[in-house]
Amino acid sequence: MAATPPSTDSRRCLFFFLYDNSKVQKEGDLTRDGIYYFYPDDTPIDQQELLCGQLAGVCRCVSELSKSPVRLLRLRRSKYAVCMKDSFLWALSCVVDIPDVSVCDFLNQLIDLFCFYNGPVRQSYQLYSQEELAQRWAKYLCHLQGGSTELHNIFSCLRTIDSTHIDPLLLLKAALILQACQRCPLVLSGCILYRGRVVSTQMPPALTQKVMVYETETYSQDNRVAANGLCSSVGTSLSFTVTTQVFLTTNELHMMRCSPVDRACRTHCSQPPSRSRNSRLLSRTLSDTLTADTDSLNLEPTDCPPKSNATKPSSPRSSLSDESCFSPSPSIVNSPLNSRMNQSEYFTPQSHDHSVANGPNSSKVKEPCLTGSLTGLNTKERVAEDAYEKLDSGCSSKSISKVINSDQELNHKEKIKSFSNGYQLQSNCLENHSDSFYQDNQTDTPEGQQLNANNHTTNTNDRLQRDTEDEGRPKNEQVDKGEQILKDNVNNICNPPNAPLQHETLVDGSLVPTVLYQHRVRGLVLALLVETDFNTDPTAREEVYHSSLASLNGLEAHLRSTSPGTPSIQGPYTFTHYDCIQNTLTTNVCGHSAGPQDRAFVKATALLHSHFSQTDTLQEAIVRNASSAVYGTHTTAQETYFLQQGVPVRNSGSPDAQDSAFSLPKKARQRLLKHGVNLL
Amino acid sequence: MSSKSSLLKVILLGDGGVGKSSLMNRYVTNKFDAHLFHTIGVEFLNKDLEVDGRTVTLQIWDTAGQERFRSLRTPFYRGSDCCLLTFSVDDSQSFHNLANWKKEFVYYADVKEPDSFPFVVLGNKLDVSERQVTSEEAQQWCRENGDHPYFETSAKDATNVATAFEEAVRRVLALEDRQDHLIPTDTINLHRKPRGGTPCC
Repeated sequence: MAATPPSTDSRRCLFFFLYDNSKVQKEGDLTRDGIYYFYPDDTPIDQQELLCGQLAGVCRCVSELSKSPVRLLRLRRSKYAVCMKDSFLWALSCVVDIPDVSVCDFLNQLIDLFCFYNGPVRQSYQLYSQEELAQRWAKYLCHLQGGSTELHNIFSCLRTIDSTHIDPLLLLKAALILQACQRCPLVLSGCILYRGRVVSTQMPPALTQKVMVYETETYSQDNRVAANGLCSSVGTSLSFTVTTQVFLTTNELHMMRCSPVDRACRTHCSQPPSRSRNSRLLSRTLSDTLTADTDSLNLEPTDCPPKSNATKPSSPRSSLSDESCFSPSPSIVNSPLNSRMNQSEYFTPQSHDHSVANGPNSSKVKEPCLTGSLTGLNTKERVAEDAYEKLDSGCSSKSISKVINSDQELNHKEKIKSFSNGYQLQSNCLENHSDSFYQDNQTDTPEGQQLNANNHTTNTNDRLQRDTEDEGRPKNEQVDKGEQILKDNVNNICNPPNAPLQHETLVDGSLVPTVLYQHRVRGLVLALLVETDFNTDPTAREEVYHSSLASLNGLEAHLRSTSPGTPSIQGPYTFTHYDCIQNTLTTNVCGHSAGPQDRAFVKATALLHSHFSQTDTLQEAIVRNASSAVYGTHTTAQETYFLQQGVPVRNSGSPDAQDSAFSLPKKARQRLLKHGVNLL
Repeated sequence: MSSKSSLLKVILLGDGGVGKSSLMNRYVTNKFDAHLFHTIGVEFLNKDLEVDGRTVTLQIWDTAGQERFRSLRTPFYRGSDCCLLTFSVDDSQSFHNLANWKKEFVYYADVKEPDSFPFVVLGNKLDVSERQVTSEEAQQWCRENGDHPYFETSAKDATNVATAFEEAVRRVLALEDRQDHLIPTDTINLHRKPRGGTPCC
């Protein structure tokens, strides 16, 4: 289903390119050298150069004049969503009638996808050839455009299983499988997909979306070889597992480590896996929350350094965790809230000690030297991120960074320089570089930290590159490149690019290597994001495999035997309900075969969605033509659109209490209740 | 003949909480988890084994015992080669319900000859000290209801679990052998040319 190539009418993207300004600096530099990827790839190179060169110039000019990032360029017949980062420029154009917000979402999704599977852009272009990466861009483009309806394009939402045709108990079953997997402390969060559609997910919608690319890919070609080579397979082709390296932003990782099952303690303490598995009463199923809780409480005094209690996501954790265990999709509902709520707790000075206390523990896992050092690094980094975030949230750091006088900034740069230089003199072992660098930052005096934090915004770009390169290096064993990277780092630190920040993935800094575990049973896929240690821990792997296999077999059998069902009865109305939190869509507009009436509805929906996205305070709106009226309503959690059919529109053309459009809100409330949409 | 019996579907039926999932897990992965949640609908695992020199793949279907899951589990009864009726020796109600389970199975699996269909009865939770069903009671029920083999098992300490499943396989294979023997006698070979009768005159 999902494997079907995108039909031309659903193709949103007209042009897409990635352009590197740094490759085109001098008069003699060819524009084509800066073009890393261009879609469609059969565009003549002259045209590619024209478009890239012009747009890059315009974007740079506009952003420098306005001192704000360029998000969208509107031309007469098309518009371009733009993303600028470091010297990179991404631009994606769509036909004009797609709402601005949808085009920008599309571009963000595309870049996010690339970073999720390949890591930071600069690094991946150092590691892989342009041709190879061009294929991947094409794949992600294809995935994002593939098989969606126009409504899906407008909302950039997840494709979910049609829950009206399956027994709700099966959704519960899927949720329980995911919970059972989380009994393994190395499992961060998971989702279950069936034939390219989401059955159940614990991940935030953006992550689910990313995981699905891979699902679709393997579903379509039964491909066992992962793109990043880190893979293995078990069993027959009907049922097998694959692990792939992926990259999460620190925010995403942070959210997953803290919120869904409140395993913060266990993960943070990085206790030896065997220990946690022995104390096995960790079931997160409905039946034994109590045991689970006491268990983790027992762990606290023994395994955690006492001070780190201050850094726990929430102190009244027992009650909180109970609730989240019982709520249907705890991660989705609770996580953003939790992470925001808990930020203040994270930034107590103790968070320092916490990371230090973590140090020896994580180095214990040094046996697989590679992962060991990575984990250590990540932990520290995470804490550093937290500290940054505090300052971000506490006060507008942008304004601060502008206030900082140049002396201070210069000091900081020199300091970093001396770190790097000192390092170069001190040690030849590149392996330690990243660690020592971070320790220097970490164990610095509070003033030093303050300084770092103040410079956060100006340095974020560099940090992204610095961090990711540091991480990427051991992974790819490019020790010989280290020297060069180090120089690059110093250069970057000293010359922060003035490109404005805009994109979340890119803004919040580093990408952390994580592992995507995937277990396929025919059309059903269990996808889990797991800690990197999972790959080197055969017992954990086996446990997850065996604890889920029977249930996955069963769920697959159930879903396969569920008849696709007749399309839902089309009432005398058309509606679309968009859940902004879960990023899902409920609608009775059927797929591609939209009639003229439906098409008008979709158009009106796009228009209203665009308005709602621009005006937060706008709650309700009606758009109408001579024959019909579409009612739209919007809150932070949902958007709903409703069209009543077959009722003669009484429309005098002037404000009139008898106007039938005014009865739409009431009708929408009544009609949609039976679809589970509550507008009251 | 051997290809016919290569995949055997056996199905575990019985009241909720008697230990069907645990029996399956114990037999296939040799693990026991005291904190399993109710099974929802059905689940299954495959296991390759050799019985009396014949290699078979056993597909064990574990079902939800609770009444509210009935509509989810019953569609999967069809095509079973053997039915394992399970009760818990510390729960007399689960023992009394065996007859209902048998009835439900025969109805939904659409068994043509219920009298010869291989059922195996398992009394699980042998490790629990307070028994409510005696071994004699259970054996008597088995004798009176079609002479089913009876095993007392414990998924927790792995008592008799493998034996019970292997017996189930033997029953299926024995039945198939018998049917294979019956085939030549009961059927008419349409390809065989009628004997050229003697000329009538």
